[in-house]
Amino acid sequence: MEKASHLSVIIDLSPTQWHLSAQTSNQYPLSIETFLSQLLAFLNAHIASKHENSLVIFGALPGKSVLLYSSTELLSDDVPSLDANSYLPFKLVDSAVVQRIMNEFDAIGELEEEPPCALVGAVTKALCYINRITHPSSTTAGVAEDPSIVHDPRILILSVSPDLSSSYIPIMNAIFSAQKLALTIDVCKVYGPDTVFLQQAAHLTNGSYIYLERRDALLQYLIMSFLSPTSIRKILAVPKQDKIDFRAACFCHKNIVDIGFVCSVCLSSTHYLLLSCDLAVFCQPLPVCSTCRLATLVP
Amino acid sequence: MPVQSLKNTDVIVPQHAPHPLLPFLQSQSQTTLTRLYQRPSSCLSIFRLLGPIERQLIMNLLWLESALSAATMSAWVLPEGKNAYDSALTVMTGLHIAPNSAVKLALNPTFKSGLRQAITGGGNTGSFGVPTDKDAKRQSANIENLDAYALERWETILHYMVSSGQGQNPTKPSQGVLYLLQRSGLMNNVHGAALQITSSGFQFLLHSPHDQLWNLLLQYLHMAEERQMDLVEVLSFLFMLSTMDLGREYSTEPLSETQKAMLEDLRDYGLVWQRKTSSKRFSPTRLATTLTSSSPPLPSSHSTGGSRMADGTGAVALSSGAAQQGFIVLETNYRIYAYTDNPLQTAVLNLFITMKYRFPNLVVGMLTRESVRKALGNGISADQIISYLTTHAHPQMRKNNPLLPVTVQDQIRLWELERNRLKSAEGYLYKDFASQADYEYVLAYAKQLDVVLWENMAKRCFFGTLDGHANVRGFIERRTGSV
Repeated sequence: MEKASHLSVIIDLSPTQWHLSAQTSNQYPLSIETFLSQLLAFLNAHIASKHENSLVIFGALPGKSVLLYSSTELLSDDVPSLDANSYLPFKLVDSAVVQRIMNEFDAIGELEEEPPCALVGAVTKALCYINRITHPSSTTAGVAEDPSIVHDPRILILSVSPDLSSSYIPIMNAIFSAQKLALTIDVCKVYGPDTVFLQQAAHLTNGSYIYLERRDALLQYLIMSFLSPTSIRKILAVPKQDKIDFRAACFCHKNIVDIGFVCSVCLSSTHYLLLSCDLAVFCQPLPVCSTCRLATLVP
Repeated sequence: MPVQSLKNTDVIVPQHAPHPLLPFLQSQSQTTLTRLYQRPSSCLSIFRLLGPIERQLIMNLLWLESALSAATMSAWVLPEGKNAYDSALTVMTGLHIAPNSAVKLALNPTFKSGLRQAITGGGNTGSFGVPTDKDAKRQSANIENLDAYALERWETILHYMVSSGQGQNPTKPSQGVLYLLQRSGLMNNVHGAALQITSSGFQFLLHSPHDQLWNLLLQYLHMAEERQMDLVEVLSFLFMLSTMDLGREYSTEPLSETQKAMLEDLRDYGLVWQRKTSSKRFSPTRLATTLTSSSPPLPSSHSTGGSRMADGTGAVALSSGAAQQGFIVLETNYRIYAYTDNPLQTAVLNLFITMKYRFPNLVVGMLTRESVRKALGNGISADQIISYLTTHAHPQMRKNNPLLPVTVQDQIRLWELERNRLKSAEGYLYKDFASQADYEYVLAYAKQLDVVLWENMAKRCFFGTLDGHANVRGFIERRTGSV
């Protein structure tokens, strides 16, 4: 029996970036309205694929992250009235997502300076959510046959903001958790320059990172690359990036560095030696390592 | 005792077994299917019945305005997925979802617009069912009552089947159901008297409720063809039910005459609930709303049935025991403990075990040679017994690996092999050959044709199959004629 798949979608909702994205000076202007309508069609396609497919949507807003929709729990009491021309679960998603995003945007108000988007917060919440549904409480242990138990969790990040170098360490930590949970992180870069960290996230979790070139064809990109669960990706290929920026951010100034320096003492205690990115990296040789407080031998 | 390599039934079924409805749909004409695709709810339901690769392909093509060249699409296919991809395309062509073409790939325009409309909403086809306003005077049926109703109906049918051979007199289902059971060959009346369960009926009982339901509905569809009912209306009504929301009431007003007539039948099967037969509204039960999903269509009768949240979204609750139907503990000493008070489950178990004791919530029995042979005699296969025990195993059993004790599994299979020591085949015996050379010459020819079942060199005779006879006879005649 085919298993249900779970999709966690993280939408980057930075008002500034979306404003820039909608500018007509872009080659393919994309406003958040068009973006949402295409995204909702994609989400409906995910729900349509299988009755048991589950869906969670998180929004990364300036300074906070919120749960916009969850197919397993009802966030608001007002169930939209039935109408004879639409399938109720689709309608629930659409109205819930749009409504919540409107509310959140209204609540932002006038700000002097927009705080950076809490993308990491949203990713972490998504990870926690998946951890919860993939490891059901012990009372129901043994219902391995339950089709509602998720076997193929995925996270899809729709990013518009540039890299936030201060979030390097939390992002790397999130990637390691994702690897442990054996889930896939897909990234769609809808607007703005390539982000180094998300490229690494997709690469390290065997997901796909797509830079949206034709932004008017968003829906087709989403469906071709991100709709299929991992079992199908073994048959129908999905595009992966051909070159990945593996650069790390240094621990001292949070700059992305080409050449990094690693403490020779605490290196040995690092868990993820192979991945070479959980190391404490500095942009210049330091006499005393800021992580382990030991004098290092400067070559 | 011959030791056979027994295959392990616990392995996950590879690939997606095609849904039983698909062959039926494929046998329909293109016009029928195109008419069916005019309704968005039908498109959505059929889409869900398809395998995962077909679904992905349809989605890839859904939003394209122009046709895609077949080479472009196959460029996405990895070498090891080639076969799966080809068979997926065959399925789509068979259903007339994608016209057969080696060059271009595109969706049937009717299907495309239907599925697009299903996903985006809108239009005015009303194919997802017209809901009724809340009735202030009468409370609409809640989910628990609907579940109880569906369960009661369904178990009445099964219980009737299972106890028909035992001289008991359970509640009879309605005439329509009885006719359907008889038509489908699950039951028949041998002596013109009461209906008796057949061997395919016994096999039917061990299937999962989902399979049972579709099995009966397929028969219903075949019957509908004979009753001159419009197949498109019948199918689209079933698909509409499958997209409806559990616990709501829908209006019968927009239904066609055929569909109103169907309501009565579906009520008997437990798919639809109505307050009165003349009522202007109906509610689908869980049997109907899970038609296109793989979640259990029936709440297990001894749990409270609250496996889903009562929010009406059809969302599956996270930690509840939706599949906690397991109640059987099987020990290596062939003892079976079944934690159930359900007479139907007891009766089904009784098909292949010897009952020892019965308690209010527990049945204890033994798998014995006699009991299993009785079941095998009824036409139930060893694999069916094992798969029934596997699917209904108690959660405690799930900690074991393999799930069922290997000794018991093997023994059940060996008991089955015991019955198959004799194999019969129709054919012809060729004997009294004039000379040994003659005999060998004919035998060599027959062996070439691969029609020899048995040979005896000393007695100069051999036995050939029925279909090989004409050739062998012709050969002998030609030979004797030429001499």
